[in-house]
Amino acid sequence: MSGAKYQVMNTTPQSAPGLSIDQALAQAHAHWDAGQNIPAEMLCQQVLAVWPGQSDALHLLGLMAYAFGNVDLAIDNLRRACQAPRVAPVYLSNLAEMCRQRGLLAEGEEAARRAVGLEPTLVGAWNNLGIIQQEAGKLEESLASLTRVVGLKPDDALARNNLGNTLKRLGRLDEARQQYEAALALMPNYAEAHSNLGSLLNDLGRSDEALASIRRAMDINPRLADAYINASGVETARRRYDDALRWIDGLLSFAPLHPGGLAAKASVLVSMERPDQAVDVALQAVSAAPQSGDALLALGEALHAQGQLDQALLAFDKAIALGGLTVEKAMINRASVKTEQGDKEAALADLKAVIERFPNSASAWLPLSDMKKFKAADPDIARMERLAGPGVLLARSEATAVRFALGKAWMDAGDAERAFEHLNEGNRMMRETFAYDADETSRWIASIGQALDAKTFKRLSGGGAPSDAPVFVIGVPRSGTTLLEQILASHAAVHGAGELSAMRTLTDAYGGPAALVSALTPDVATQIGRDYLAEIAKLGGGKARVVDKMPSNFLLAGLIPLVLPGAHIIHVKRDPVDTCLSCYSKLFAREQLFTYDLTELGRFYRDYEAIMAHWRKVLPADRFLEVQYEAVVDDLEGQARRMIEFIGLPWDDAVLDFHKTKRRVRTASVNQVRQPLFNTSVGRWKPFAKQLRPLTDALGLLEP
Amino acid sequence: MSQVELEARNLIAQDRLAEAEALLRQALASGSGAASLWRMLGAAIRGQGRVAEARPIQELLVDAMPGDLSMRFDLAETLLVLGEFERGWREYHYRYQMPHTTRIERKVQKPRWDGRPIPGKTLLIHDEQGYGDTFQFMRMVPWAKARSGARVVLEINHEMHSLAARMGGFDAITLRGQLPPTFDEHCEMMSLPMAMGLKLEDLPGSPMPYLTADPERLALWRDRLKDLPRPLVCLVWAGRPTHLNDARRSMSLPMLAPLASSGATFLSIQKGPTEGLATEPPEGMTLVNLSPEIRDFEDTAAILTVADLLISVDSSPVHLAGALGRPVWVMLPFIPDWRWLMHREDTPWYPAHRLFRQASPGDWDGVVRKMVQALAERSPPGKTGQRRGSVKPPR
Repeated sequence: MSGAKYQVMNTTPQSAPGLSIDQALAQAHAHWDAGQNIPAEMLCQQVLAVWPGQSDALHLLGLMAYAFGNVDLAIDNLRRACQAPRVAPVYLSNLAEMCRQRGLLAEGEEAARRAVGLEPTLVGAWNNLGIIQQEAGKLEESLASLTRVVGLKPDDALARNNLGNTLKRLGRLDEARQQYEAALALMPNYAEAHSNLGSLLNDLGRSDEALASIRRAMDINPRLADAYINASGVETARRRYDDALRWIDGLLSFAPLHPGGLAAKASVLVSMERPDQAVDVALQAVSAAPQSGDALLALGEALHAQGQLDQALLAFDKAIALGGLTVEKAMINRASVKTEQGDKEAALADLKAVIERFPNSASAWLPLSDMKKFKAADPDIARMERLAGPGVLLARSEATAVRFALGKAWMDAGDAERAFEHLNEGNRMMRETFAYDADETSRWIASIGQALDAKTFKRLSGGGAPSDAPVFVIGVPRSGTTLLEQILASHAAVHGAGELSAMRTLTDAYGGPAALVSALTPDVATQIGRDYLAEIAKLGGGKARVVDKMPSNFLLAGLIPLVLPGAHIIHVKRDPVDTCLSCYSKLFAREQLFTYDLTELGRFYRDYEAIMAHWRKVLPADRFLEVQYEAVVDDLEGQARRMIEFIGLPWDDAVLDFHKTKRRVRTASVNQVRQPLFNTSVGRWKPFAKQLRPLTDALGLLEP
Repeated sequence: MSQVELEARNLIAQDRLAEAEALLRQALASGSGAASLWRMLGAAIRGQGRVAEARPIQELLVDAMPGDLSMRFDLAETLLVLGEFERGWREYHYRYQMPHTTRIERKVQKPRWDGRPIPGKTLLIHDEQGYGDTFQFMRMVPWAKARSGARVVLEINHEMHSLAARMGGFDAITLRGQLPPTFDEHCEMMSLPMAMGLKLEDLPGSPMPYLTADPERLALWRDRLKDLPRPLVCLVWAGRPTHLNDARRSMSLPMLAPLASSGATFLSIQKGPTEGLATEPPEGMTLVNLSPEIRDFEDTAAILTVADLLISVDSSPVHLAGALGRPVWVMLPFIPDWRWLMHREDTPWYPAHRLFRQASPGDWDGVVRKMVQALAERSPPGKTGQRRGSVKPPR
């Protein structure tokens, strides 16, 4: 090929009229090196006119298309360039990388393999192969390819960075960090490595350092998309969701269809409990990149949050079928949906499969621990203990999860000492990720009661939007709200809507409950009531009653009859220590900032008791019913009849078979309401009295 | 787009900046709001001449949205006009990555020179769009050669070829569009300040002047102008009409009428669509229309060398005259291009320049009044035209 001497016409003004193909190509390359794309392109086209399919000309055209951002055209040219019998291995390597960028992993892998087959020392091709394998989830193979690059070329900063990514995904965080640092020592202005190191530091819970590193990446390359996604990850991890969204919007402002950015935005919106918006954004992500596991995962999570369980399962199934890096998360999420649907066996199968493939997956161990009963000799305990031990460096969130899983396991096994060692550590790690001020919370809760005293309540009564559909079940988390809802929702005329944020959102729009009291004109009351009714009408499926079991609505209990005079409010109470212990042993998916420190937990409980004592005096008896959780356990039928009568419905025998009801349940209690009632959750705290001293002190209880 | 945003945009388009500012301040009173509103607030404040006050807003925007390169360019212009060169040049680096400029970015496939020595390597320095930019920044080519120790190839537009060739300070010259010799690294001419960390105190640098007129042309023009009574004052009243800010930087010949009272001989060296106006000079002004006789920058350079003074709006002859070391009075709009800095009457770039700034937006009358006075001080009545003038550098 290189010896061929075909004459081509050259119409470039500065060039000689006749050039050999080699000369024309050499000139084309020189023009392109100097950024003169037009003469370069003309020369390539002239070569192709004489020799259609000429590999070098096609390759150069492909490189130019790539530089101008047209990856699809570039791939098209490179594919044809690679059909030459003696294709240059570097062309195959370039094709591989472009395929990866468009998500064509299989084709990319094949091209890269051909490249290294032809030239086993071609560093760039091994590197490209390594990152394709990484994206395909073939982490061990990726590790081998990239280790080879580093062996061939120890000062290759790009390879070190890529190797770091593979190690990170393998959970080998320490080694990953070393590789990023080596890359940065070789190339201090390497934006990607700064960004990746930032993401790793975030995994380790060092958010300030993480953000500094990511900032550095943005300073070097303000258009590095991953840096924005990683920055949003840092803010999400410390629950600063507005900041997380700001980063993503910063990315989408210059790359509106970036699939990773859209997927990340959907996840943040899920965390912010804005599932409808999350679904919209996730759908955009999937349409921008139908083969992206991240996009499908985000869509599944958004649909899950929206309550569209079957649709969510479809998205997770697709992500799992794609293979790649998102399989682990997709399977865990699928298990969580299956659990909510009451299909415990399918959920267990998924979780066990994840642990088989990813033995370090604490996010799988945590739900698994909730689904079984442990004895001290259970080998799973040993496997989890290994993860919590000093030999394994887990990401912060994983390290936290495994502590909660172990806490549960040792409580089952009756070892209070060990259980609390893990629970205290897990709660401490969680508590470090956010700011919470117990004094501020106390003042805020008290201010609600002060704003809405009995006199004010009376004065503001008589308005609102009339409807007897709404039923509110309120209480502290873990006090039995899920159980009560499940019992009520087993009635044919009742829909259980789960935990709705609607009432809080409507109140927040006026600056919170205390501010709302002073703003509550008859018009405002009617409007809020109507807005709430519109919200539940979408969910209720035409049933006569719709149960909203958002526990924290206890803060708003006095306001509810003012905006919804027909609503029924059921307050569930449970033994304070049992409730708090249950809170403390759970890693909540939703915001519960007061449960990760025993003293703060106790203080919150007392604030709750105080405001409930206040509501008890304010609320009219025909709107407000109190149910003792322990009484329900003792006498299900008696208490169930009391509640059904209170909400004004005729008796339905289905209520007593509540654990058979097929409906979704999404809270930390999901595995308990699927069982008939047992006494195991009454007085459960007694064996842990010693460990719970900070709590019982804060609750003001006398020593038992 | 929100109602406020729409209204503010309209007000800014109509130059009603104080009203736009009031509207935006009200909308942003809580301290938070859409980035687009903050950006307009920055523009409204800056447009009223309070550039330093606009700076923190623009810095915050860049901090919050590092990937919005248009905002970075806003900040670059603000920092540079305030003389904050270090970060200014860095932000200026994004000039080809805005929606309207990405198409013209030249995708050179070799690394950009970072200012470090690269002896034995070849460095390609290429000029960009504006002639004025190239006249102003080509002084850095010899500096870059000294700093890099490289073999320097200068790529320049066809029109300035011979002037650049005489300047020297590089190893080879090539013209825009031609295939340059093989090179290892490159740098846009306007990226040299970033690469080399140019500071205000490095200016004007040496040699100064760095361009010279062609001796043959000079002889021709000496002859052509020898009978005209001095002082000879060249006039340019408009820049290239396609320039983004041309409406603000250009004026018109009739506005310069009051200069006639000085009794100087005026020479029109205006080029472009408005050069024909020179055939109808304002009442009482002695204006010799040289425009049709000017074939290229070599003619302009020779005329400027023979003449005593150039009075011009912010356009390329200002830089050509400066590079030749000739005196210039520059007429500047209220908010000038970043290269003229704020408030001062001189410029570090050219020692013989004197700047006449608008005191309020659009106020060319005030600028002309000040120049009439300055002309009178420069050549007292009765002594007109007899000395070979040189303008004392300001300061």
